[in-house]
Parts: sequence; C-alpha cells; structure tokens
Amino acid sequence: MNILEISDLTVRFGGLTAVNAVSLDIPVKEIVSIIGPNGAGKTTLFNAITGIYDPTSGRICFNGEEARRPFRRTTALALALVGLIAGLSLVLIVNVEPLWDTSITSNYVYQQTFLWSNATHAASSYFREETGRRFAIPFLIGALVGLAGAFAIWQRTRRAPEVAARAGIARTFQNIRLFNQMTALDNVLLGMDSQLRTRVWHVALRLPLYWRERDNTVRQAMDILRFVDLDREAQQLAENLSYGHQRRLEIARALAMQPRLLLLDEPAAGMNLAESQELMKLIHDIRDRGITVLLIEHHMQVVMGISDRIAVLDHGEKIAEGNPEAVRSNPKVIEAYLGKS
Amino acid sequence: MAAPRRILFHWSFLLVAALIPLIELVLPGHPHVGDLLRPIFIMAMLGLGLNILTGFTGQLNLGVAAFMAVGAYTYAILTCDIYPFRLGFWSATALTVLVGLTVGLFLGLPTIRLRGDYLAIVTLGFGEIVEDVLKNLDSITKGTQGINPLPSPSWFGYHFRAETYQPWYYLFLGFLAVLVLLNRNLQRSRVGRAWISIREDELASSCMGVNPMKMKLLAFALGAAQCSLAGALWASYLGSSGEPGNYDFQVSIIALCIVIVGGMGNVGGVLLGALVIMGFNSIVLETVTNFLKAHQLISSSNVFTAPGNWKYMLYGLALILMMRFRPEGLLPSRQFKAEAHPDEPHSPPTA
Repeated sequence: MNILEISDLTVRFGGLTAVNAVSLDIPVKEIVSIIGPNGAGKTTLFNAITGIYDPTSGRICFNGEEARRPFRRTTALALALVGLIAGLSLVLIVNVEPLWDTSITSNYVYQQTFLWSNATHAASSYFREETGRRFAIPFLIGALVGLAGAFAIWQRTRRAPEVAARAGIARTFQNIRLFNQMTALDNVLLGMDSQLRTRVWHVALRLPLYWRERDNTVRQAMDILRFVDLDREAQQLAENLSYGHQRRLEIARALAMQPRLLLLDEPAAGMNLAESQELMKLIHDIRDRGITVLLIEHHMQVVMGISDRIAVLDHGEKIAEGNPEAVRSNPKVIEAYLGKS
Repeated sequence: MAAPRRILFHWSFLLVAALIPLIELVLPGHPHVGDLLRPIFIMAMLGLGLNILTGFTGQLNLGVAAFMAVGAYTYAILTCDIYPFRLGFWSATALTVLVGLTVGLFLGLPTIRLRGDYLAIVTLGFGEIVEDVLKNLDSITKGTQGINPLPSPSWFGYHFRAETYQPWYYLFLGFLAVLVLLNRNLQRSRVGRAWISIREDELASSCMGVNPMKMKLLAFALGAAQCSLAGALWASYLGSSGEPGNYDFQVSIIALCIVIVGGMGNVGGVLLGALVIMGFNSIVLETVTNFLKAHQLISSSNVFTAPGNWKYMLYGLALILMMRFRPEGLLPSRQFKAEAHPDEPHSPPTA
C-alpha cells in the first residue's frame, strides 16, 4: 500500500521547470531517499508535497486523496456570508448620512422616548424610493466583490501548508527553521497545536479544559524530547542550542504533529560521522513507530545505509528508482553525478 | 520556589497601584499622582492592544489610533443624549468592544495576506481614513467639534463625578488588571504560542499545522477590541468623544513607542513602557516646566524654551537610543516560562 502517490508532477516557475513529470510512489512504513545533484528539484518536490508550492500539473495523493481543502457546505455558506456582509456594508457606506438623518435624527426629539418602529419604518421607506440606486446597485457590486474576493482567497489557499500538515505530513527544512525565540519545549508544543482542542475562550478564561490539556500536552512533549534525547535542553531557547541539537529539535517538532509521513530535508547536513550514525539510528526508530520517512540527503553513507528505496532526480526529472544496490550501479546515476566519460 | 514569589510580586504591583490614591491622605498638598496616572492606564490599554498585533504576531500596525477613535465615537454615540440610544456605561462599553472586534475583523480580512511594510502602509492609510471620515460625517459625528457632553458612568447607583478622580482611578485600574490577566493567559497558551511562531517564521508555522490567516485575524480582532475599549474609557474620562484630530498618527506612534520601549511581546514591558513614555509626558515635562517657570528661567512667549514643545523630538531620540542600545526593550519577554513549568500552581498572576 502506498501512503503517497505522486503522478506526473510538474512544477514550473515562469520559464524554469523545476520538477518535470515526476511520478513516485512511497510505500507505507518504508524509508525512501531522494538524491540528486544540487538544483535537481528535490526541495521543490518537498515543497509541492507539503503544499508550499502549487503544482503546475499532476497529482499528489496522500492516503488516497489530495491534500486540499474540500468544498463543503460550510465553505459555501461562509462565502455567501462574506458576500452578503460586503453587499450590506457597501449599501450602508453609500447611504449612511441620509439614512441616519431620516431614520434616527428626524425621529428623535431631545430626551424624548425614541420609537425604534418609527426608525425602521423610515429606513424601509427610504429604501423603497429609488431602490435601484440606493440599494440594489451597491448591494450587487458589494456582494460580487466580496464573493469574488473570498472565493479567490479560498481558491488560492486550498492547498496550503497547514492543510497538508493537518492531513498528516510533517517536515523539516534544509536550512533549519526553528522558532528561535521560543524554548525547545515550546517548539515541540507548537508542533502539537493541531491536536489541541482548547479554543480562545478556554485559554483566555482558563476554563478546566485548558488545565487538563496543558498538563497532558506538556507531558507528551517531554516524552518526544526524551525520544530525541533533548529533554535536558527543554527550557533553552531554540537559538541557543547547538547545531546538532537544533537538527534534532526540528525532527522532534515534526514528530509532535503525530504525522503519518515525515519529510526530512538533508537531516545529516553538517554532521560528522558519529552524529550521522546517531541520526540513522533515530530515523530507524522513527520508522519503527510506524511513520513513513522520505528524505533528501547528500551523505551517501547515510542514504545507502538506511534507505529501503532510492529515487534519483536530475534536472527535475526522475532518472532512476530502486533499491540501493540497483541505484548505485545504474549508469544514468553515475553519469548525473560524475558526468559522461 | 520561584513561582509563588513571582505571583506575589505581581499581586504586590496591583496592591501598590491600589494604594497610590491614598498618598494624598497622608501628604496633603501633594500632586495628585493617581489623577495623573489615569491617562497612563488608558495608553497602557492601547499599548496592550497593539502588543497583541505587533508584539506577539509581528504584524506592524501604524493605525491603532483609528481603533481607539472607533471605540471613543461608538461609546459617545451610544451614551450621549443627543442620540436616541442613551445606554449606560457598562452596556455601552460592552457594545463598543464588540464593535471594535468587528472593525478589526473587517480591516483584517482584506489585508491578511499582506506582510511587513505593506501591512504597515495599509494600516497607516486606515488610520487617516477613519480620521477623515469622522471629520466629514457631520450629521453623525458632529464633525470637528466632537460629541459632548457624555454622561458620567455610574455603578450601583454611585455616579462618577469629574471632581473626584479616585473612583475613575479604580475603574481604570480594574479594567487594566483584567486586560493584563487576559493577555497573559492568551500569551501563555496555544494561542500566544501560535502568534509568536507566526512572528518568528510564518512558513514553518503553517507547516506545523497552524493556520496563519486564522491566527492573524484573531490577533486583529482582539487587538482592535482592546484598543476600542481604551477609546471608550478615554471618552468616558473626557466626557466627550474628543475631536477627530485627537486620534491622529501621533497617537499610533506613541502607542508603538510604548510597545517598543517597554519590550515587544511582553505584557509587563508594555505597562512599563506606558509608565515611562506617558509619565515623561504628563509628569516629568510638566514638573520641569512648572519648576522653570516658577524660577523665571523661561518665558512663556518663547516657544523654543518650553520643554513640552520638545517632547516629540525627545520621543524620537528615545526610540533611536533604544534601537541602538537595547533593541529588545526595557523589559524583554522571557518566552513562556510559566507554560514551561507544569509544576507551577494554577493561580495566574495579575498586573
């Protein structure tokens, strides 16, 4: 069974084709590596999978469905509501002064009781005259603009990173992107955000749910930190951690999302032999937790040591795929790395 | 244990603040410190609202004075007896907060995808637009004269009067304490964490499953609501909505100064910032001017020698010096220490 199926994926930036018709299947609970020379389109592929880039064409299916915001009845309702509000606001803006005068000012005698029925009556008779100019036209324009704007924003954020993240795809970044001003523990806690059930009012008023959830999440976060051997650094700001620790903290943050698929973008970059050995063990442990791992890596020792399968990209195209031995001896791969003899 | 001591420390602040109006019972003839503190409380609330947007979420907003104006005018329209609504202080304030929330959402929705300088420009424009609308929407806002007089607040039959400042002082102190409490609660929770992660790295944050648009909209709505609460209290304190020119760009900049000087993203820092910036304005400058006048060192005819006329230059100088020597502010935030200590007792600190 495949957890991720990429079919004919093309990502184009203007004239540059970064990923060209790549198809790739990632089986569940395997460790798959993507290798290739610099500029081969590996990170672009990651960005497309995690919803940062929109594919120019092709499909990315996670768990059998595309990780996009579905069009539900609530979506339609929200769009209609935005349109309605925009239309009414424009009507109000266009008519505000005469409307106020006819309904409020002229019905109110200083410090006398004010009858709301008179006001609404005056307002409705105001709109009954010249309905087209006063109500229909501004309402239509406002509603159209509001609807179009809301729809455009919805359309453009259908495949947003948070949608992929909530579907169960976690990732790390090539150049570490931790939240530097937050502690290690808070970085992990942020990774758990999508599992939390508290809402603004819970946390603002400190309702019981907040306390229950906080104790649980902090305990879980500490477990994750212990898993990557960072529990002693929990209270350190992320920016004060050493490079190796930052790398592992980023993995911990991704694990906190309880993902089904973990994308690691050059996790062993800048690590010495001992550190990359440790990393390989960590990746194995992660796989043993039932998480599929897809990684980009340049350290051939790491790649050959842990991958179940390897895919090779060059100039945006997949030139080889298979188990480590097959890829190592593939002439096309040797050519891409060393050039033609 | 450090935690109970810190909570004690926070409560003692509130206690000291509550005792300040009693100074003049002991020292008659002393300047009314409590009286001077009232506008500082209001500006601290404005700073807290801006802090949610700029300090936590990292969205530079140069138009918070507009939110304050919306609050002040809404409160004025709802309470003044030249309009038919004539609500009491509490219901009008509650409605004003709701209106502020809505205005924040309305401004947030179309601008939410803008970042950094672009958002700053849009909010700057919003501030100018609101001021101009208030000036020109004569039949509703009474143009440049403002809406007045507003009735004083009352509580359980007690009517606040302009001559005695103490009830006002405690009213504002109470509001400020509640706001501080709410802000701290938000900061030390998933909401604050998500806000700060957006400030640190929006892309990484969204890759972790945080919806940045939703969180930014929330920040806009809550920030605007707090600023409009500050506006409503300001209007009740003045007994007038003030004129539109009272809510100009300078007010937004002072609010920004308060947040930056105090320490971005730190509630306590904002309070300190308000005390320093506004205290300098209404206490230090005033005292120096009076002292100089009393000793006939300056004449009122020469505008260059009046210290008050130098204040914006001094603010600017303060900002430059802060940026050079202490860019993190006087009281920088220590991120989430409380959330990180699960063994801490559960009573949250105040003020």
